[in-house]
Amino acid sequence: MNDTLSKEILTDDQIEQDLLKNINWGNKFKLWLAFLAVSLIICLYFYYQQIEHGLGVTGLHDYVSWGIYISNFVFFVATSLIGMLISSVLGLMNVSWVKPLARIAELVAVAFAMVAGLIIITDMGRPDRLLNVFMHGRVQSPIVWDIAVVVTYVAISILLLYIPLLPDIALCRDKLKNVPKWQQKMYKILALGWKGKAKQFKLMNNYTRILLILIIPIALSIHTVTSWLFAMTLRSGWDSPIFGPYFVSGAFVAGCAAVIITMYFFQKNYKLDKYITIDHFDRMGRLLVLVALVYVYFNINEIIVPAYKTNTADAKHVQEMLSGHESIMFWMVQLGGLIIPFLLILFRPMRRPLPLMLISIVILTGAWFKRVLIVVPTQLAPYYPIQNVPEKWTHYMPTVPEIAITTGSFILVLIIMSVLAKLFPVIPIWEIKEEINHNKN
Amino acid sequence: MNYFKYYKSIILICLCSLVMANVQAQNEWEVTTEQDKNLSPFMFDDEMVLEGKISYENSCTSCHGMPGQADYTPMAPPPGDPGSNQFQLQNDGALFHKIKLGRGAMPKFEDVFADDETWNIIAYIRSFNENYKQPIPDLGGVEIPKYDLKLAFDENVDKLVVKVFSKEIPQPEVEVSAFVKGTFGKLLLGKIQTNELGIAYLDVDPKLPGDAEGKLHIMVKATKGYALAKLNQKMKIVQPTIRKSAIEGRHIWSTDKMAPIWLKVSFFITIFGVWAVLFFIVFGFRNIKKAGREDDVMIE
Ligand code: HEC
Repeated sequence: MNDTLSKEILTDDQIEQDLLKNINWGNKFKLWLAFLAVSLIICLYFYYQQIEHGLGVTGLHDYVSWGIYISNFVFFVATSLIGMLISSVLGLMNVSWVKPLARIAELVAVAFAMVAGLIIITDMGRPDRLLNVFMHGRVQSPIVWDIAVVVTYVAISILLLYIPLLPDIALCRDKLKNVPKWQQKMYKILALGWKGKAKQFKLMNNYTRILLILIIPIALSIHTVTSWLFAMTLRSGWDSPIFGPYFVSGAFVAGCAAVIITMYFFQKNYKLDKYITIDHFDRMGRLLVLVALVYVYFNINEIIVPAYKTNTADAKHVQEMLSGHESIMFWMVQLGGLIIPFLLILFRPMRRPLPLMLISIVILTGAWFKRVLIVVPTQLAPYYPIQNVPEKWTHYMPTVPEIAITTGSFILVLIIMSVLAKLFPVIPIWEIKEEINHNKN
Repeated sequence: MNYFKYYKSIILICLCSLVMANVQAQNEWEVTTEQDKNLSPFMFDDEMVLEGKISYENSCTSCHGMPGQADYTPMAPPPGDPGSNQFQLQNDGALFHKIKLGRGAMPKFEDVFADDETWNIIAYIRSFNENYKQPIPDLGGVEIPKYDLKLAFDENVDKLVVKVFSKEIPQPEVEVSAFVKGTFGKLLLGKIQTNELGIAYLDVDPKLPGDAEGKLHIMVKATKGYALAKLNQKMKIVQPTIRKSAIEGRHIWSTDKMAPIWLKVSFFITIFGVWAVLFFIVFGFRNIKKAGREDDVMIE
C-alpha cells in the first residue's frame, strides 16, 4: 500500500493528462533554454581561450595541478551516485514510495555522470591527446580504472533511464499527436514497437533487474576509484584507507540534495503535486538525515584519528583545517553545509517542500566546497617544502576562465535535464497507474 | 601645511641616504699590498676551473650572474660582472681577499670555502679572460718538486695507503687528502700529513657502496707549498654492490608491461564482463521489438 500518493481517486486518463502535460515546447521553456544556451556559449568562449593558450589561463600550477576542475569532477561523480541509491537499492528493497522519484534520480545521475566525463577533459592541457589515455594507459593506474568505470556508469545509467521509460515512450507515441514531426518519429523509434504485451513487460523487467543489480557495484566502484585517485597518492590528507566509504557516503548527501532540488522544480513547474507530494519531500528529508549522519560519522573518523597523532604531516594537515589557513572554509562547510542543515531537517516543518529545497541548496553548495577542501590544501603542503619558486605557486586561486568553464559544466547539466524533462514524462506513468489501481483494489 | 613639511623632510632624508650609499660604493675597497701580492699556490687547470664553476654557480650566480653576461642583480652598490674589467684588472690576491672577507651586501666566504676552493673560484673567473696569464710566484730559486703518488689498500685494517715520492725519494710532511667520488659529489675520507716514510694512512669504511666489481673511485690530492699532485684511481676496496631497481618487485608501480597478472585479469574480466552484459541488453531490444510484432501476427 502506497500512502505517499494523493488520496484522490485518479482515473488513468487523468493521470496520463497530468503527467504528459510537461511535454510541450512552450515559450517559457524556449526562453529558459535560450538563456542557458547563451550562458553556455559564453562559457565555451573561455574554454576556447583555454585551448588556445593552454592551462596557463587557469590558476593551476606545478604544485596545485588539481584545482576546481577536479574538485568539480569529484562533486559531479558524487552527485550522480544517487541514481544507484534510489532506483536500485531502495527499488530492489521494494520501497514503493520512491517509485515516482526513481526517474528523477536517474535523470540527475545521467546528467551529472555524462558531464563529469567532460570535466576531466577540461582539466587536460592537450585534450587532443585524450585517446592516448586509452592507448597507452597503464592498467595499474587508478586514472585508467576511473575512466573505465565512469564510462561504464554513464552507459548503465542511460540504459536504466531508457528501459523503464519504454511504456511511457509508447504512450507519447500514441497520445501526443500535436508535437513536431521529428519528435513523433523519435518516439516511434525509441518505443521499440512497444505494445504493452506481457512478454515485452517481462523482458523489460528482466533487463531492468539485471541493470539494477549491476549498477550497485559499478556505482560503488566509480566513487571508490575516484577516491583512490587521492588515497593511493602518498600525500598528507589523502593517504587514508577510509577514503572510499568516506567519498561514497558524502556522495549520497550531495545526491539526495540534488534530487530534492530537482523534485521541487519539477513539482512546481509541471504542477505535479498530486504525484510528488509533501509526503515525498518528508521522506526524502529523512533519507537525507540518514545519509548525512553516516557522512558526519566518517568526517569525525577522518579528522580525529590523524589529529590524535600530534606530530605527523597528516596531523598538521588537520590542524590547518581546524584552526589554520583553511579553517574558515572548513567550518563553513562542516557546520554550515552539513551539521546545521542536518539538525534543521530533524524538525518536521523543515521537511516541507520549500524549506527542504532551500536547505538542500545549502547542503549542495557545502558539498561542492567540501570537494575543494579535499583536493586543494593537500597539494599546497607537500612533504618537501615549496622553495625557490614563483610566489604565486604557494597558493591557489581559480581564475575567471576556470570559474566560467566550471559554471559551464553546471549549465550543461541543466540543459540536459531540462531537455530530457521536456521530451519524456518525469514520473513513470505506467508505474503510477499500476500503483493507483493497486491501491484502489 | 604641517604634513607637507614632513613630506619634504622625508624626501630629503631619502635623497641623503641615496647619496651616502653612492659615496660608500665609490669608496676604495682597501687591500694591503701584501694581500694584493698573494698568489695561488696552484697552477690553474681545467679541473680547478670545473670545481670553481660548481662553487660559483652555487654561491655567486644569484648576485653576480653569469660571468661575461653582465646579468648581475641590480643593487647598490652593484655586485659587478666577474667577466668584466672591474674584476679582471685586479690581481688574484685582491680577488682572494675580497671573496674571503666580503663587504656590505657581498657576503664573507672565509668560513664557507677553504683556501684551495676559493682559488678554484678565481680560476673559474679567470677562465673568462683570454689575456690572463697566471703570475708564477717568485720562489727565490727554489724548485717546485714534482710528486708521484702510489695507492694501495690494506684490507687488514681497512686503510688506504698513500705514498708520496719525488724522484723516487719518499716525501715526509706532505698534506694528503683523499675522497671517494660519488654520483653527486665527493666524500672526504680524511686530510693528513705523510710520515717520515712518505706514507699517509686514511680510514675507509668498508661498507661504502662500490660499483658492480666492488671498486671505489678514489681521488687523492697531495700538496706542500706550491707543489701539487693529484691521482684518480679505481680501487677494489668494498663488496660488490648488486644494484636493484627501486621498483623491482613492485610491479603495481612499474611500467604497463610489468603489470601483475592478477590485476590485468581482474580488471579486464570485470570491464569486459560488464560491457558484455550491457551489449546483451542492447541486443535484447530486438526481442522487445519482436515480442510486439509476434502477437500482432497472431491477432491478425
Ligand atoms: C648577496 C649577493 C652576493 C653574493 C651571493 C656574492 N656577491 Fe660578490 N659582491 C656583491 C656585492 C653587492 C658586491 C659589491 C660590494 C661593494 O662594492 O661594497 C660584491 C663584490 C664582489 C667582489 C669585488 C668586486 C670589486 O669590484 O672589487 C668580488 C671579487 C666578489 N663579489 C666575488 C664574489 C664571489 C666569488 C661570490 C661567490 C662565492 C660572490 N661574490 C657572491 C654581492 C654578492
